[in-house]
Amino acid sequence: MSTALFQIEEPVAQRPSRASGGAGIGIDLGTTHSLVALASHGAAPRTLADAEGRKLLPSVVSYANDLPTVGYEARAQQVSNPAQIISSVKRFMGRPAQEIDFVHPYKVASPRASGSGVIRFEVGRGREVTPIEVSAEILRVLKRQAEQELDRPIAGAVITVPAYFDDAQRQATKDAGRIAGLEVYRLLAEPTAAALAYGLDRGGEGIFAVYDLGGGTFDISILRLRAGVFQVLATGGDSALGGDDFDRALAAHLLVRAGVAHPTAFQHEEARMLARAAKETLSTSPSTSVTLTLSPLTDYEVSRSMLEHEIESIARRTLDPCRRALKDAGIRAAELDGVVLVGGSTRTPLIRRLVESTFRHEPLTDIDPDEVVALGAAIQADILSGSQRPGVTLLDVVPLSLGIETMGGIVETIISRNSPIPISARQVFTNYSEQQTGMVVHVVQGERELVKDCRSLARMELKGIPRLPPSMARVEVSFQLDADALLTVTARELMTGTKQSVEVKPTYGLTEDEVDALVMDSLDHAEDDFAARNLAEARVELDRVVLAVRSSLSEAGDDPELLTPDERASIETALIEADDAMARTATPTEDIIATSAPVGREANASFPQIQTNLQRIRERLEAVSEPFARRRMEQALRAGMSGKSVTEIEGSLDEGATLDERRGSHQPRLPSQ
Amino acid sequence: MLGLPRRHAIPRELIENRYLEFATAVHPDRFVGESLATRREAQEVSSRLNEGYRILRDPIARAEYMVKLAGIDLDSSDPTTGAPAPEPAFLVEMIERREALAEARASGSSRVDAFRAQVEDEVEGELDRAVAALEIDEPSRAARALVAHRYLQRLLQDVDGQEIGV
Repeated sequence: MSTALFQIEEPVAQRPSRASGGAGIGIDLGTTHSLVALASHGAAPRTLADAEGRKLLPSVVSYANDLPTVGYEARAQQVSNPAQIISSVKRFMGRPAQEIDFVHPYKVASPRASGSGVIRFEVGRGREVTPIEVSAEILRVLKRQAEQELDRPIAGAVITVPAYFDDAQRQATKDAGRIAGLEVYRLLAEPTAAALAYGLDRGGEGIFAVYDLGGGTFDISILRLRAGVFQVLATGGDSALGGDDFDRALAAHLLVRAGVAHPTAFQHEEARMLARAAKETLSTSPSTSVTLTLSPLTDYEVSRSMLEHEIESIARRTLDPCRRALKDAGIRAAELDGVVLVGGSTRTPLIRRLVESTFRHEPLTDIDPDEVVALGAAIQADILSGSQRPGVTLLDVVPLSLGIETMGGIVETIISRNSPIPISARQVFTNYSEQQTGMVVHVVQGERELVKDCRSLARMELKGIPRLPPSMARVEVSFQLDADALLTVTARELMTGTKQSVEVKPTYGLTEDEVDALVMDSLDHAEDDFAARNLAEARVELDRVVLAVRSSLSEAGDDPELLTPDERASIETALIEADDAMARTATPTEDIIATSAPVGREANASFPQIQTNLQRIRERLEAVSEPFARRRMEQALRAGMSGKSVTEIEGSLDEGATLDERRGSHQPRLPSQ
Repeated sequence: MLGLPRRHAIPRELIENRYLEFATAVHPDRFVGESLATRREAQEVSSRLNEGYRILRDPIARAEYMVKLAGIDLDSSDPTTGAPAPEPAFLVEMIERREALAEARASGSSRVDAFRAQVEDEVEGELDRAVAALEIDEPSRAARALVAHRYLQRLLQDVDGQEIGV
């Protein structure tokens, strides 16, 4: 696919590139297998293979040896050592132990009294790992694969997640990325990634269905593309339905034919493996023969129609969610412009026929359904890592409502499902007595009215509320969902204006400190190296800001509306200071880390000191250029307005402010802590 | 908002197009390589834009918001600036309607369906009335219609809500 497919040119003339310039990778972190893809500098995306030429990495991590192993090797040991070899870890991400309602062979450690409710698997030798760490192992392997291919370090990645993933699941995925040493540019919804890979934006406009049938899950999404924007209109699915069910159905049939009424686990396993192989063959040929060794069945002919007879009722179960998604999106099948197939199970001809008759469109199949998501992620990673690739803007929605617990365990919704993100909301809480100096805010996600029926995301403690008569303290809590649908919370006391400290304790995830500790661990180096890495990062950050400011300055030219001569002068001064600091600490990043020796002329200063200095310089540069950045933003807005006056835009933003107040004036009563 | 006139009757298509133009211009992905301050700004502006869009695209939220701009806050019970209190006769009627619902329920689902259909019509009627009042710049009349709309909406929820248990 070439960039010519992207017809929408963005007005942003040039993006300052990140230090990694175009070395962002796309990762499909799947339940059964994972993939990495690359699309550097506008090139066509391609998936990367390992040394043996295999593109799919089984999402299986073995803790049977000293060092964890990932992939085929780990998968091969699974039968002999089920408790120490973790597969399908995606199903555990961001979920509490009590919600795991499927059978698995792992030993789950009892929750630590002090920690959150995150699941910990006991994998032997007293070792406990969380699903986040298991996922990080998979990501690390993919990252290394890409680094070998490119022969340089990978800075960042776009990782895909199912569209329905809630905050805890997304946060867990992002944390896994960080632990693997990746900057997660973006968590991208899998259906959106697939649509990107197909370059559905080539037509400019349209509504598309993405039908994703994997090994164990089914998802359907309806997307709309217009004016260079992908919008998710509706999503649905069934988290316990997939191609594995087809294998089981055919295996049951084989065992019946073999006359085995009560198969042993081994007989069952063999039948399942051969059923799977037969199913795959039948996707392209009309019939195949099966021979079991553990059960009496030799040269048994299976035709495609026999397979279809066995799996039809299962396959049809995907159709209800499809119809519901169409209804939620408010469109009829005939109004669709195309249907995209994702997931290996969509190779089954019956699925293709059912999809075609339900959506009244012949599905798009020219990209390998196993690779399509990773390919789309790579395109987005290329855009976000600062290449010149013109791209679409992805407007996503939050898949589940966000609320807080009020009196009586009732959920008060603060951001409703399918709201476009980023989005923020405010709530004002009050005190019930003069003695109260703290409050607990319980954040939940879900569509049900009672807290106990929703997913608990976090409990936050607001501290340091000034002693004021009952109902006089006004604590405004702001909830911000970013473009990844991840939540951050801030709070301030309105009467006195003091900022509150908010301590967020994720209910089923890792705290910031825990993630930081794991990131440290993963560096497997001494503290010095960590400091060196921090310093290198500080340099990269400063460099990035310098580039960004320079390119904005040149874009702005002599436009007096954007920049006064005085401002320009002070920005230039800050830039010179930054250049100077960069020059003084100039040593290739790798050398800094490798030698961990003091650098350049600042030989007497320690790494942390140099780092702090660089940070200070960067902050100063950001501060002096901030009003300028703000004006550029307004100009961008105005460009979108074509012909409207500035007053009108400001007026419209004021209305936004009024709206915040209205939401803020609403005061739910909180349960006392 | 979105450079559109402050009116209720705006074609959905126009709102959508304007929203997309704006959302594209200020989306955080457009400012990935830039300074922290700029990215934060993009996130804030996008959040406000999305919040506004959420209200504009929902005819009821839009009407309630326009009434709010005129100084009547339907979420407040303040006697002067809050939601206008409904007429006693209306409240009596709502109680009677609930009784009628209980009777309909006792005599079979077709009666409940008829009841629901009627309330649905009335809900739409009140919204139409509110929109008409806004068009001729009579916010207090619109506010009364919107209060009635909320009551009827709740009644409608009860029709469906309790049926699940039956």
